[in-house]
Formats: sequence, C-alpha cells, structure tokens
Amino acid sequence: MGFRSWISVALQLTMATALLVGCSQPAATSDSASPSDANGVTLKMVESITSPQRTALLKEMLAQFEAKNPGIKVDLISPPFEGADQKITQMLMAKEELDVLEVREFNAKQFSMNGFIENLKPYTDKWQNYDQLTDVAKRRATWVDKTPYYIPNGLYQRVLYYRTDWFKEAGVEVPKTWDELLVAAKKLTDPAKNRYGYSFRGGGTGWDYALITMWAYNGTEVDPDSAFFMKDGRTLFSTPQSLQAMQYYKQLYKEASPKDSVSWGFQEMVQGFVAGSTAMLIQDPDVIDGAKEKMQEGTWATAPIPLGPSGVAQQVVGGPGWGMTSYSKHKEEAWKLIEFLSDPEQSTHFAKKTSTIPVVKSAAEDEFYKTGYFQPFIEMSQQPTKFLDVSRPVDYKGWGAWQSTADKDIQSFLLDQLTAEDLLKKWDQYWTKEKAERK
Amino acid sequence: MDTQKPIVMMTKQVVPEGKKSFRISKEGRFIFLCLLPAILFVSVFTYYPLVRGIIMSFQNYTLFDLMNIQFIGLDNFVNVLTSPDFPRVAMNSFYWVFFSLVFQLLFGFMLALLMRKKFRGRGIYQAFVFFPWAMSGFLIGLIWRWMFNAQFGVINDLLLKTGLIDAPISFLADGTWAMAAVIIANIWYGVAFFAIMILAALQSIPEELYEAAAMDGAGRIQQFWRVTLPYIMPTMLVTILLRVIWILNFPDIIYAMTNGAPAGSTHIFATYMIDKVIFGQDYGQASAVGVIIVVILMLFTIFYVKATKVEKGGDF
Repeated sequence: MGFRSWISVALQLTMATALLVGCSQPAATSDSASPSDANGVTLKMVESITSPQRTALLKEMLAQFEAKNPGIKVDLISPPFEGADQKITQMLMAKEELDVLEVREFNAKQFSMNGFIENLKPYTDKWQNYDQLTDVAKRRATWVDKTPYYIPNGLYQRVLYYRTDWFKEAGVEVPKTWDELLVAAKKLTDPAKNRYGYSFRGGGTGWDYALITMWAYNGTEVDPDSAFFMKDGRTLFSTPQSLQAMQYYKQLYKEASPKDSVSWGFQEMVQGFVAGSTAMLIQDPDVIDGAKEKMQEGTWATAPIPLGPSGVAQQVVGGPGWGMTSYSKHKEEAWKLIEFLSDPEQSTHFAKKTSTIPVVKSAAEDEFYKTGYFQPFIEMSQQPTKFLDVSRPVDYKGWGAWQSTADKDIQSFLLDQLTAEDLLKKWDQYWTKEKAERK
Repeated sequence: MDTQKPIVMMTKQVVPEGKKSFRISKEGRFIFLCLLPAILFVSVFTYYPLVRGIIMSFQNYTLFDLMNIQFIGLDNFVNVLTSPDFPRVAMNSFYWVFFSLVFQLLFGFMLALLMRKKFRGRGIYQAFVFFPWAMSGFLIGLIWRWMFNAQFGVINDLLLKTGLIDAPISFLADGTWAMAAVIIANIWYGVAFFAIMILAALQSIPEELYEAAAMDGAGRIQQFWRVTLPYIMPTMLVTILLRVIWILNFPDIIYAMTNGAPAGSTHIFATYMIDKVIFGQDYGQASAVGVIIVVILMLFTIFYVKATKVEKGGDF
C-alpha cells in the first residue's frame, strides 16, 4: 500500500471515528466533557424533571457541593423534559457512565428490577438526616421492596385551586367533598359567558383523575399499598362504589366542564383556570407560580382536595428523588452528593424554588409553607388518616399496557362510546388476571 | 442472476493460475475507502437499528423486565394485528396520507404556478410559503392544538366573529373533527415542500417550448396540459412517492396535537407505535408496528415504481 493509500485510510478512519463519537454524545447539556479528573473524581449526574429554572438551581447547588468537596466535580446532564425518562432508561440500558440519577416513583421498580440502581440502605443506615424525612417522603423512598432506592427531593401533592371572586359573586362555599364540588361547579357554569365550573382532565394520564374519584368513593377499603385493589383482594373496579364514582365523574364532565376538556392535558387545564374559563382546578403545587404571575392577588386561593362519601380522599403523592447507579465506580462520592442535596436546608431550599412540597419535617415550621397558597398542602400532610397517600401498581407487569389504553377507555366512556359498566368490567378483568399471573 | 455466469467464466479464463480470481484495482480500492465512512454511517445508523427493530419485533422486549427477554415468535404481530384498535389505526393512516397528500399537492401546485410569475414582493411571498417547512413538526402540532382549542383558539374566535358559527366547535373533542384538524395542520405544513419541488421543475421548462406551442396554436390551457404537465411529471411522481413515505412516518403533528385522542380516534401507525413505547413500555409490540409500516411502504413503493416507472424521473 502506497503513502497515498495510507493517508487515505487514516483520513477515513478519523472521519468515521469522529462521526460515530460525535453522534453518540448525549443530546443534553453538559458542563464538563471529561468523565474523570486528574486530581479527583468527576461524577456524572442526570436529572429528569428538567426546566431551565430547575437546572440553573441545581447547578448553583452543585457549585456549592464542589466548593465543599474540592476533590469532586459534578457533570450535570439535563435532557429535555419530554422524553427525559426514556433518555435515562436508554443510558442505563447502555450502561453509560452515570453515578447519580433522578428516579421517579413509576420507574423505581423497573430500575431496581433490572439492577440499574443501588440499594441505598447501607448509606441511609449511617445517615443522621434520614429520620428527618416526612412519612410520605420515606414511603416514596422505600416503596419498592421496602428498600430505600432513592431520596426524594420534593413532593407533588394535589390541592384544589378555586376562584374566590367567582365563588363570592355566586355565593358559593368552598367545596369540601366531591358532591359539594359538583354542586358548586354546576352553579358556576355559564357557557354563554364561556365560564365553566371545573378544569377537567380528559387528555394524557386523565385516568389518574378518574381514579382519585374512585378511591374517594371506596374509602379506607382500598389497599393503600396497591390501590387498584381492595383490602379484601378484589379489584378497585369491581365495587358498586366505583360505578357510582364513574357516573359522578361523567356528570362532572358533561354538566360543569368545557366540552373539549375531554382532550385537555396539564397545559390546557391550567390555562383554563388562569385565563378565566374555569372556576376550579385540582393540580400539583407547581401551578402556584404560574397562577401568581397571571392572576390577580385575592382572586384565587387553594384548599384541600375534596373528600369522597367515605370521608377520606386518596392520591398518589409524587416524589422523585436522587438515586445512584448500581454500576457507579464512585459510589462513596455519589452518596456524598445525594447526602448534600438531601440535607434539610438544601432540600427545603430546592423545594421552595421548584414549588414542591418539602420532604423534611422541619419545613412544616417554615413561614413559607405555614401560610398562603402552600398552607393546604401542609394541612393535608398533617391529617394522614383523612388524606391518604396510596400507591399505584406500577410493579405489575401489565402496568404499561394498561396505561397505554386507559386514557382511550376513559375518553370513550366520556364520549358515550363505552358504558361505565363495560369500562369497569374491562379493567376488573384485566387486573384480576394480572394479580393471578403475578409471580 | 443469469448475467453473472458468463462473467465468472470469462474471469476464470483471463486470471493466471495460482492467483485469486477476485481482484480490486487501485482505483476501486480508493473508491471503496472513500465510501467507507458513508457505508459505516449508514450501517450503524440505518441498518443496525432496522435489523435490531426486526429482531425486537419477535421478542418480549418490555422495559419492565429487561432481564427476561426471549424470542416469542409472531406473538407481537398477532397481538397488534388482532387488536381492536388496529382497523381504525389502519383506516386513519390511509386518510392521513391520502388527504394530506392530495391537498398538499393541489395547493403546492397552485402556489408554485403563482410564484413562477415575477411580481413585486415575490421574495417575501415565497419566504412566507416556505416558512412552515422550516419549523419543527412537533412545534406546529402544539401551535395548531392551541389554535383549535374551543376556549381560547383563534379558529373558533374567527368563525364566531364572522358569524359562520353560533357556538364554539370542540374540534379536538370529537373524533371526526379531530382527524380533520390534524390533517389540516399537516396540509399547512407540507404544502411548502410540493411548492418548492414543483416551482423548481417549472423554472426548468425552456421558454421555447411554450413559444413553439403558441405558434402551433395552443392556448394557455392546452399549453398547461401539453407542455407544463408532461415536463414536470417526473418530478411530481418522485415527490409524491417521497411524501407518501414521509407522511406515513410523520407522527409529530398528531403526537403534539392530540396524541391519538379522543378515544384513540386520531392514531396512525406512527403514533400508535410511540404510544406502545411511551405508555406501554413495550418495545416488542412497538417494533412489530414499525415492521408493519416498513412492509406497507415497501409494497407501496414497489407497486408505485412499477405503475409509474418513476425510477426514470427525478429531474431535480
């Protein structure tokens, strides 16, 4: 082979390598290109619930961590929120270099079952702040096999948002139960004025709202550890109370919600409330900042979520958190980072800035949470027998396939293409089979 | 295959004994090395995922249990093809491609004919026409989703203000309206591509042809049928083929506008496949849907190429 040929081969290989390496970089922002540092360790960290503000906040906290731990650098990866969890799953499947990751309650089981994330028990046993976590935060941390796989960084708990001005105008009291909510919503509905009582969620994951109604109707008979089942082993969908709940749910849609809310997702339901189309909204605390920005002070307020005829209300309190990969080469340093981010002071600061409910007990004494829009969240947390935290059966094999059709089924029901009886029968059969087939 | 035999025999005759029959010249080697990066690139980013996808379509590949992946024969295909959703998804895919294509072609043609003529501000006008093509499909979906919103959408507002309707239409709450809405958004997006391609073809028609046609007594309509259309036909046929493939594989607008809602009435194959991955976490079934899309497109392409002899076209 002549000189020219060698040059040609070298060029081709360089180009091909550059092309492949270039294309295999994660499509995410990254502070540092090098995975390790000559003077210490560089941790790779990935967040899931990304937003520009949240990423900036995390970077600030990571800078503080680096200042306190001169031998450790942190390389933060922030994939776009849409698809971030898929991106993290792909990174784990490919065993990409990663030390700390944001785990969410719906993928914790999947990650632990596939051996992607580390059991943090050896670390939490020695961690003095573990007992500072609230009960709900501890349940989120340990709900998979009663093992701490991650430390929650904020709780997503729903409350009722309502228009105080409309309520005053119509002489309506703030609803405490689902029945009162329907009465109030109907009274506040006036299609001629483009006003509706309730910001209905019929679009993506709208099934979750149908479920909170069903849970509230079935009350304490629901198994809190796997809330698609009753304590006696039947499915949630087999009870007469669930049928009543679904009939109620349809009434709420037909008589007090905008017709097109059958396809509303998070954005539309919040927009409906803040833009003055709907009087009530049930949502997470992250709506507060947006509502503060777009609505006049004194025209809206928050209240605990409505109770069912059973006298209780359940919801799945979302609690994402920081976990560690099982294959991390820097586990001690990774835990140091998790420990730093989960410190009561840091964690409360993070929760305040991201508009979530704090995971540490001491935050309940914080003025920021004791008064104003956040107060109902704390009020609900302090009544755990009335406002129950339950879990979805995300550890069942059929969870994914069910999710894939649940929204469609609910929409078919709301659009009168499927009866409540048929819908519940379908889901009852599905989950009865799932339970029977479970290992 | 028959043509290869004589070549092998001839090679055997000319190659001296003891040497290999397969030799590449220096030029051949150089060309091969030049092509190597492209071959590697296409192999890694096109053929590997394709082969991987085909393999996954025969496996129980779910995110729930990655430790227990096995070959399950045709189960994924059986599940997809016998699903009650499948007939509607197939019909929607047909409507989606057919109506999008017909109206994109029609409006694209009209715009190209208009833009062919020189007039004041033609550049700005062209920029407006081509603008949608430069935008992300997902973003277009989000924009149209808000435009079609019954409460805050500009479309209902316009219809109400012009007195065409008395009450807002819930476009995205009704299956038929929702399907029409996503197709309208897609037409808006794709018109630019047809306009660009047809305009390029129109501008390549020699003026002499029109002059000759005029001398032979052809009027404007006859010139269109006898000169314009035959001349741009190869471009049109290739563009139609490309667009059919792209439209069927284009979930962005539907995904952002309705995500298949309401009640699955706007799902096409591509969005159905995404649904299987994102919510169902079932890569096996999603891959089976992907393989079905590839088979449909291959059959269509073979039929189309045979019917139109489109491989001889492509003057662009």
